[in-house]
Amino acid sequence: MEKLQRLSSEDRDNLPAYLDGELNEEATRRIESILVQSSVARNDLELLSKTYDLLDELPRPDAPKDFIEKTLATVKMERVKVSLSDQVWFQTSQKILVLLGWTVALVIASVAGFAVTNRMVERPDDVLAEELPLMRNLDRYEEVQSIDFLDQLTRSEELLNQMRKATSHE
Amino acid sequence: MLRVKDGDDSAFAQIVERFQNRLIGIFTSMFADSALAEDLAQEVFLRIYRAKQGYEPTAKLSTWIFQIANNLASNSRRSKGRKKEVQFQVGGSGSQAVQVGESNVAEKSAMMPTRQLDKTEMQERVQSALTVLNERQRMAVLLHRFEGMSYADIGETMELSTQAVKSLLSRARENLREVLETYVT
Repeated sequence: MEKLQRLSSEDRDNLPAYLDGELNEEATRRIESILVQSSVARNDLELLSKTYDLLDELPRPDAPKDFIEKTLATVKMERVKVSLSDQVWFQTSQKILVLLGWTVALVIASVAGFAVTNRMVERPDDVLAEELPLMRNLDRYEEVQSIDFLDQLTRSEELLNQMRKATSHE
Repeated sequence: MLRVKDGDDSAFAQIVERFQNRLIGIFTSMFADSALAEDLAQEVFLRIYRAKQGYEPTAKLSTWIFQIANNLASNSRRSKGRKKEVQFQVGGSGSQAVQVGESNVAEKSAMMPTRQLDKTEMQERVQSALTVLNERQRMAVLLHRFEGMSYADIGETMELSTQAVKSLLSRARENLREVLETYVT
């Protein structure tokens, strides 16, 4: 590397982290190798370090002597007017209410779920109950054998009377 | 903090004592306003107190506290609609507020590049140089420089990845170098 060669953008970005010891081993070695070869890099590093050190010139004011006292007094006042939502009993009640709410919601959901499935899903017993009239008269229906014959019978009044007479004689 | 959670007020006083200067220092450098810095620091302690019941020791206490400070600083800036140019009160109470902005810093830098500055002037220059940084860069720089936080801890405090912190600090320090290099020999 030439003595006056400019640093790449990435190398330049890494200089502060190098100064802070925050680079990984590989990146540290790379920066050190650049520094050995480039006086521009060494100059940049020195400027970065020195300008950063100037921050130590900033005033570091101490807190006023009564700061702790005032802060504690403010905290005490805060405690007195502590809001409802910050009180332990309120928070506990709130938690219990939330829990209760969820329990009620769960029960309602279970009942509704049961009711819906009960109506929607057909059970074998329901089918049997529905078909009961048919089952009761199954023997008769089998004796009749023909639907056409039944139709003729209902249309012919005379034939129907004859059959009634015949069955009443028996 | 666990003692504070159990209602030990003396433990809370110890936390205030331990962090008061650190928070006021950070906020003063952030906003260049010592009165605002004190108010914000007090608000941080109030928030800590309010949040004591929910505190879980999953992170370092300092990280948690500066996380609150960072959120508060962001909210404060947003709510007050602060502009990039801020009122500066350098040198504590009673000093004159000076309008200092990005272009002003550059102008001053160009006008007196080599003159030896006294401590107060240098403080002014450095404080002004911070205005070149955006809010996140400034907070990252202050946490790194004054709190000695690692990139990982800054990331946790500011809810950023370590890589993002690295980029943030790199840009910030490059910006500081551009503004302040005239003052280093």
